[in-house]
Amino acid sequence: MTWQLAFLATLDGLAYAALVFMVAVGLTLIFGVLRILNVAHGSFYAIGAYLAASLGIAIAAGGLSPWLTFPALILAAVLVGTILGTLIERALLRYVYLKEDVLQLLVTFAVFMILEDVQRLVWGVNPYFEAVPLRLLGNISLGGIFYTNYQILVLPAVALLILVGLRLFLRTTLAGKLITAVTEDREMATAIGVDTGRVYLITFVIGATLAALGGALASPTTSLVPGMGADMIVLSFAVVATAGLGQVEGAALAALLIGLGRSFAVYLMPELEVLVPYLVMALVLLVRPEGLFGVAQRRRI
Amino acid sequence: MLTVEALTVEIAGVQVLRGVGFTLAPGATLALVGRNGAGKTTTLRALMGLVPVADGRLTLDGRPLGAVAPHDRPGLGIGYAPEDRRLFSAFTVEENIRLPAEVVRLAEHEIKARLDAVYEVLPELGALAGRPAGSVSGGQGKMVALGRALMIGTRLVLLDEPFQGLAPALAQRYAEALSRLRRVRPDIALLVTESNPALLANLTEDGLLIERGEVAPRRLKDIMEDA
Repeated sequence: MTWQLAFLATLDGLAYAALVFMVAVGLTLIFGVLRILNVAHGSFYAIGAYLAASLGIAIAAGGLSPWLTFPALILAAVLVGTILGTLIERALLRYVYLKEDVLQLLVTFAVFMILEDVQRLVWGVNPYFEAVPLRLLGNISLGGIFYTNYQILVLPAVALLILVGLRLFLRTTLAGKLITAVTEDREMATAIGVDTGRVYLITFVIGATLAALGGALASPTTSLVPGMGADMIVLSFAVVATAGLGQVEGAALAALLIGLGRSFAVYLMPELEVLVPYLVMALVLLVRPEGLFGVAQRRRI
Repeated sequence: MLTVEALTVEIAGVQVLRGVGFTLAPGATLALVGRNGAGKTTTLRALMGLVPVADGRLTLDGRPLGAVAPHDRPGLGIGYAPEDRRLFSAFTVEENIRLPAEVVRLAEHEIKARLDAVYEVLPELGALAGRPAGSVSGGQGKMVALGRALMIGTRLVLLDEPFQGLAPALAQRYAEALSRLRRVRPDIALLVTESNPALLANLTEDGLLIERGEVAPRRLKDIMEDA
């Protein structure tokens, strides 16, 4: 492997890790508070991507400035996160918070299956490709390698912004403190006056929005096809398990590990590409069963 | 002020409390004394709405507590310090103490005033204020949990086995803090559980003996003599 290829693989890995992080951090945030592993999380990613592409196409059809596709990416994420997120939490999840894990998994899995079909109904099965934001920003030459500004600057920058912003939000705002408190001890949070039902809803909407944002930002870089949500949710599970459930910074590091591992595999041993994320996960979990940053769960009897 | 009538609580089909009844006047201090498993913790948890009540009536100032959601009860002026402290380790000691007041959205000047009052009762918390809550010792944690309960408990404060696991020196300081609290805020009603009645002898004469989920009012002195 030449250094140029290694450099290219690093850039690929960074761009990919940024997207995976956005989805995985939403998943881990939701798990931390609701204690539900949300299988439907991949649908938020996919629908965020499709909606962003549709908005982009509508902007072009309407003859509007192509720069409007950037706010459209964010709009798509917020729409999917708030509308779909609120609907699913209020109509389904809040009835299963105290039920067994298996039932919760089945409910979110059912939601995932339904949303997969909804997605096919609305957008069909033919690939969508809408890369206006990618083209607008042009390319950059780094040591003889051409790379898109969008993937090398925008994606990692947004991921970093989310990481720092989420940390600040959880640490300094009242809503963030309540989320942190409920994550640590739901019952004691109630005993000091926290309305956990509201915290659950807010957390779910934030998590869903982050996943949809991952999808929206991914849409200019890839063809949108049915099944993309399933791929992403499986990968996010690997990231979240590697990081330790409920860990925000851990999710960033694990996404980076898995993103880089995967992109190097693409250049070195392409046949291993799909396997690498799980190899990384398995290796980490062999050494630290609770994940890189996870804390061993206390069992409450 | 606080009235508990025929309170019955079942956990997994087993009656843990059977027809518990007592009243607590403003400023009164009541010691709920009994062995482990007698139902002391469950009584407090029922008042906070953390366990479902099978039967009975709880009222605060004539208002039925059953109609108040658990998360709205602290807002009525009820502070609760559980036996195992349950501090939020992601926050500092002072953030833990402030949190209940922030949750009910008190104005900043009111939070400051209450914080000062807490430090007046528990001066040693001042030195711990900036420490991560996860780093303080178990005994110090009990003090922090008391401070957190006082922050919101302007009417009623529930303390679950506050002396459990405290080293003698710390237990002494905790008892002093409770006497200071009685002096500074004589209007707050205190409900304290304890398995060893002697630890509360300086605080009150009124006891409530709990055995297998049933209570009987007894003078603390008599409980000690029987034991």
